[in-house]
Amino acid sequence: MAALTPGAPAAGSTDPAAAGPPVPPRPRDDFARRAGRAALRAGAVLLRRILVLAALLAVVFAAVEMLPGDAATATAERGDSAAAIAARREHLGLDRPLWERFTDWMTALPTGDLGTSARGEKVADLLRDPFPNTLALAGAAFALTVAASLALGCLAAARPGRRTDRMIGHTATTAFAVPDFVLATGLVLVLSLWTGLLPAVTVADASGKPAEWTMMIMPVLALAVPQTGWNTRIVRGALADQADAAHVEAARLDGLSTTRVLLRHALPGALPVIATGIATSTGMLLGGAVVVETLFNHPGIGTVLAGAVAGRDTTLIAGCVALAGAAITLVLLAADLVRAKTVGAGR
Amino acid sequence: MYVNRRQVLMTAGGLGAATLVGCSSQSGGAPAPQTTGGTPKKGGTLRVGALGRAGAITRDPHGTQSNESDYLVLSLVFDTLTVPAGRPNTAPRLAASWESTPDLKTWRFKIAPGAAFHDGSPVTAADVVWSLRRLRGTKSGASRLPGIQAENITADGDGTVVLVSDYPNAELPLLTRLSSFILKKDTPDNALDKAPGTGPFKLDWYRNGNARLVRNEKWYGGEVLLDAVEITMFETAQAMSNAILAGQIDLASNVGPVAARIAETRKDLRVVRRADDMAMPIVMRTKDGPFADPRVREALRLVVDRDAMVKQVLSGYGTVANDVMGTGDPRYARDLPQRKRDLARAGQLLAEANFDLGKTYDLITTEDIAGLAESATLFANHAREAGIRINVVKQESGTFWDATWLKGTLYTTYWGTNDSVLFLGSKLMVGDAGQNEAQFADPAFDDAYRRAVGAADEAGRAAALVEVQKIQHERSGYLLWGMADGIDVAAAKVQNLPTLAGYGRVQLQSTWLR
Repeated sequence: MAALTPGAPAAGSTDPAAAGPPVPPRPRDDFARRAGRAALRAGAVLLRRILVLAALLAVVFAAVEMLPGDAATATAERGDSAAAIAARREHLGLDRPLWERFTDWMTALPTGDLGTSARGEKVADLLRDPFPNTLALAGAAFALTVAASLALGCLAAARPGRRTDRMIGHTATTAFAVPDFVLATGLVLVLSLWTGLLPAVTVADASGKPAEWTMMIMPVLALAVPQTGWNTRIVRGALADQADAAHVEAARLDGLSTTRVLLRHALPGALPVIATGIATSTGMLLGGAVVVETLFNHPGIGTVLAGAVAGRDTTLIAGCVALAGAAITLVLLAADLVRAKTVGAGR
Repeated sequence: MYVNRRQVLMTAGGLGAATLVGCSSQSGGAPAPQTTGGTPKKGGTLRVGALGRAGAITRDPHGTQSNESDYLVLSLVFDTLTVPAGRPNTAPRLAASWESTPDLKTWRFKIAPGAAFHDGSPVTAADVVWSLRRLRGTKSGASRLPGIQAENITADGDGTVVLVSDYPNAELPLLTRLSSFILKKDTPDNALDKAPGTGPFKLDWYRNGNARLVRNEKWYGGEVLLDAVEITMFETAQAMSNAILAGQIDLASNVGPVAARIAETRKDLRVVRRADDMAMPIVMRTKDGPFADPRVREALRLVVDRDAMVKQVLSGYGTVANDVMGTGDPRYARDLPQRKRDLARAGQLLAEANFDLGKTYDLITTEDIAGLAESATLFANHAREAGIRINVVKQESGTFWDATWLKGTLYTTYWGTNDSVLFLGSKLMVGDAGQNEAQFADPAFDDAYRRAVGAADEAGRAAALVEVQKIQHERSGYLLWGMADGIDVAAAKVQNLPTLAGYGRVQLQSTWLR
């Protein structure tokens, strides 16, 4: 928890102290200047995030290159001669230097061109249906983890050191420690195979979406539960830090109710830490989607990615990573803004 | 054709097995479809799960199909000229009959009367010629229609197609079984996804590997009983297994032994075992090196404990084999003596051949399909009991196919087409075979093979076929210890499922629901 004190993971956040000008000038100028600075700040943060994403994609390209075999051998047919495989390699452009392939792919990216898969399909077409499915899954899991971890964290913080607190603490640690595939398998066994309450896997219909909404429940749970464990601890920790703050202490001494102290006085101060902590969950959620989607046959980019890695399909892998990375970037950006806003407002 | 030589992450051992099954072009050779009784009934929707990967989806009937789900859709919407069967191993489909000239080079296929595309237009020889030429023109066309040049595919009138082979080929109708999907002449590449087929089902919708097909009321091949077939693509056998166990699908195609073991305990599910589905032999290089001496090869064949292999590697879902490839062939030589473990005899042979027992020999394998690497390890244990030191080396798939396959001295391989001794002989064992895995060159074998394929009289061919198998049993480069079953799991209500090996499992045209 110590690592998650405000400021630590917030790459790109700016010093909020500089936000307010010292002398209050005419309101309109002030507003324009504030807006300009906010935009500038957001722009700088965005730029940094984009650079990180680009670096990540470069790593992905290099990592796939390091795996044994390539897309030419992976899509080859038994009996293809070495010459045929070489021809495929040339056709796929795999004979060109890695750097060249990467820059080509990167420069086409801003136009929405995600390149061509090892089998000659447009990557953008391959991901058109899966990406929204993954967003829906990860989004639902995200919403659930935010709501649950705030509730549980506050509940625990309301009675520090008491039984509820300890129980929530232990449960949260356990939940976070369980690997998602173990959890997913357990969920299927209990909620589907033994009790028949929920469908075991996702079956897509003609629209490319899960045929029934109940098919989303278990994948969402499998993703959200470990993250809720993690985030509950963050919320609890941040609130504990705030409990010692002077204004919270004062509110308590004023005789305000525990709930009021917690929600009105402690929580606002804890929000920056919580926002950052929860935002980092996005990465875990989207990463976990590879395993969880595959286990539940959810038609998202996690499933596509699992197959693409097996097929050494660099552009398809990079396409998945780029989309997931973009989604994570947006959430982190939002978290940065929440931080800046709340920390700024606190002054 | 369907080789995507990759192992999927984690749990999906079954998928690897799956992608390989049709790696040449045939399969089949099993008894008639199974029935548990009752009068066939019309109606109902069959929900099928099949393995496939989103990145490998193809809609081209002549494309590289590595997804079982895609192949299932294609083979229900489109027809091939012939289809896999039990006895004989090739049955009519779009071609109602065929005949050859005595030299076995020119083959005439008669198109089934009444055959029509889903849009109502009749199938003509021109459509067939166009489709076969298109198939021949694909990058693997030469291996799908071996020995048949594009210009030697011609029409004779509206109802007959003539194929002329470069060499005598008694097995030619077998070559058209799995990939000769017939489309309408001049179907443009960008319209393949909606191209009308001639098959027992019409495409209702297809999206990202999943599809719904509806009955073709006017199918020339007979009455189709199912109203519809819904196909769901699964990335892993594990997810598919959960789907059948939870009742979300009615048939889990090629789901593998793990699901089967669970299904065995349930009354509402049935395990369909399709014999002779997959061969996983050990290849011993015959040309040179430590296994060039046939006595050494025989010794290795005597060292393996076949029953233990079937029990442990295949979880019992398989049968013991006898070192002859093509166990599903109706004319497979069952009367050859079954080779059994005999360590004393093996030791004697090794001594006679001066085999160096002091050395350690690498056995190279991959994890391409479930059980393959395990088979290598277990064999190495058996060999150790005979004093032969074998070190199992697992190679990454791409490296294996580049560096070891066709070149190595001792390695595992696998074949999903096992219902023709001659087909495998031509592909793997004839001296100039393109995929001569063991570099086997045996004039007596070649001679027997040619007589088996090209002799004018049936009796002569039959005798030669026995000879082909005898030689294999005696001295080929293959140690074929057993055959894996193909395993489907179905809901009890599903009747008349195909029990053919390999891609014979896609023939759902006469399946019905109780």
